[in-house]
Amino acid sequence: MYGGGNTFEGIKTDSVAQEDPQKLAAFEARIARGEKIEPTDWMPQLYRKQLIRMIEQHAHSEIIGALPEGTWITRAPGFKRKMSLMAKVQDEVGHGQLLYSAAETLGKSREEMIDDLISGKSKYSNIFNYPTFTWADCCFISWLVDAGAIVNQLANAKGSYGPYCRALDRICAEESFHLKYGHHCVIYLAAGSPKQRAMFQEALNRWWPPMMHFFGPSDKISVHTEVLMKWKVKMGTNDDMRNQFLDMYVPKILELGFTIPDPKLKKNPDTGRWDYTEPDWDEFKRVINGDGPCNKERLEVRRIAEERGKWVREALKTSKTAYVTPLA
Amino acid sequence: MKSLDPRVNRLPVPGTPGKITPKIPLDQFGSYEVFVQPKEGKPFQHEGIVHAPNLEMAFVLAKEAFTRRFTCVSLYVTDTRDVFVSPLTDADKNAYDMISDEGVKGNDSYEIYHLAKRGKQHVHAGVVTAGSPEEAMWKARQTLNTKQVFNIWAVKTSNIRKTGEGETILWDTLPEKKFRDAADYKGGDKLKEFLERNKS
Ligand SMILES: [Fe+2]
Ligand SMILES: [Fe+2]
Ligand SMILES: [Fe+2]
Repeated sequence: MYGGGNTFEGIKTDSVAQEDPQKLAAFEARIARGEKIEPTDWMPQLYRKQLIRMIEQHAHSEIIGALPEGTWITRAPGFKRKMSLMAKVQDEVGHGQLLYSAAETLGKSREEMIDDLISGKSKYSNIFNYPTFTWADCCFISWLVDAGAIVNQLANAKGSYGPYCRALDRICAEESFHLKYGHHCVIYLAAGSPKQRAMFQEALNRWWPPMMHFFGPSDKISVHTEVLMKWKVKMGTNDDMRNQFLDMYVPKILELGFTIPDPKLKKNPDTGRWDYTEPDWDEFKRVINGDGPCNKERLEVRRIAEERGKWVREALKTSKTAYVTPLA
Repeated sequence: MKSLDPRVNRLPVPGTPGKITPKIPLDQFGSYEVFVQPKEGKPFQHEGIVHAPNLEMAFVLAKEAFTRRFTCVSLYVTDTRDVFVSPLTDADKNAYDMISDEGVKGNDSYEIYHLAKRGKQHVHAGVVTAGSPEEAMWKARQTLNTKQVFNIWAVKTSNIRKTGEGETILWDTLPEKKFRDAADYKGGDKLKEFLERNKS
């Protein structure tokens, strides 16, 4: 899972002007025909760079996203929920693996990506910097954060880079399980005791603001964004994704009798789009830059895992194998 | 570090927070390509990669990474360096038209994979006997259906770690794992009952 609003690097647009015009035209024609780009095809530097960044952020989000849910495995209510949640978290880590592989085909090694995550150089979805206080928080993630991720992932699966699309096809298939599981969990809380209902309502109140942040701030339509859209790297604006999410899930939340903590939230009949209180983008920026409730813990847990696994990797190391760039 | 998760609070803290201890060279494992057979009678297709210290571990990791939620009847892995790759073509250019060299002749068995559609997976196309990947592709051109392919892979059969006979039981327990099954999360009845109850 991951949020849109990828922080694309502000590369000077003249970097595109430096590319071979003939090759660039052939590349753009291929994308316009709806064909995919494969790792050995010629591609502009900007395309490569932004894709690495986007796929890498997505991979990190899967890995870090497993932490706030994973913490509830031992405390999930009942054996069945424990098994289900464990399987779901394993899926998320698996998604990270698939995505790292896709990014590797573009020339950045997995080790570099993991190092950049731990050192804070690479970002991941902001929403995972918030804590899961209760079981209901965990259910909110399983159902609604995954739902948001699916909106993004389905859009990106229609993008132009072959290895990323193939990874996303597998991921989306698994996410549909997560959505069913998450909805199931929340239905049971909704249909449960007043205490269970209150527990989910509180979780909803806590998670709504980060959920609105999840899709990123409104895009400033720049030449840069236009190029990324033309190249099918970015598949829709952040506002489009947010609207799609609200369209699909607000009715489902209300159906269960919960209240969404935003008095301004309603669909505007004139525009066909949702009106809402503008999310607090200062908080978003503050958290993404490291000052959220759990940023330090998330990265420390990753770093400790890396350090503690070191002796295993060293014990298994052999000169008979070699790291090479994956084929497809 | 103070966490809501007691397990995190118990973690030992090696090294320096925020810093990675420099790694030894070769800390990265090798790359292995993973092929999955989705159903009995269907051809194997390429699914992705795993990194592993050897072929055997690659097989185990591939089983975890690629065959959890899906029906899968067989799996195999091979070192990425053992895959011989043809040029990638497009439009109406056939990758087989780029194969001009017959290479070294011999009697080894080679597996051939085709990319029939750009953006899709490489799918197993057949087996040929040859002495080199070049000859394998040359022969594949004569014996396999090679109408329009965009990319060809050739792998020596002996370099592939296949699922052995008796190992397919790895996937036999999957149907018993109900928590991996979407059918186990039907909330419809519970939801209906809840909505009825709310109406009255
Ligand atoms: Fe998720
Ligand atoms: Fe995921
Ligand atoms: Fe998920």
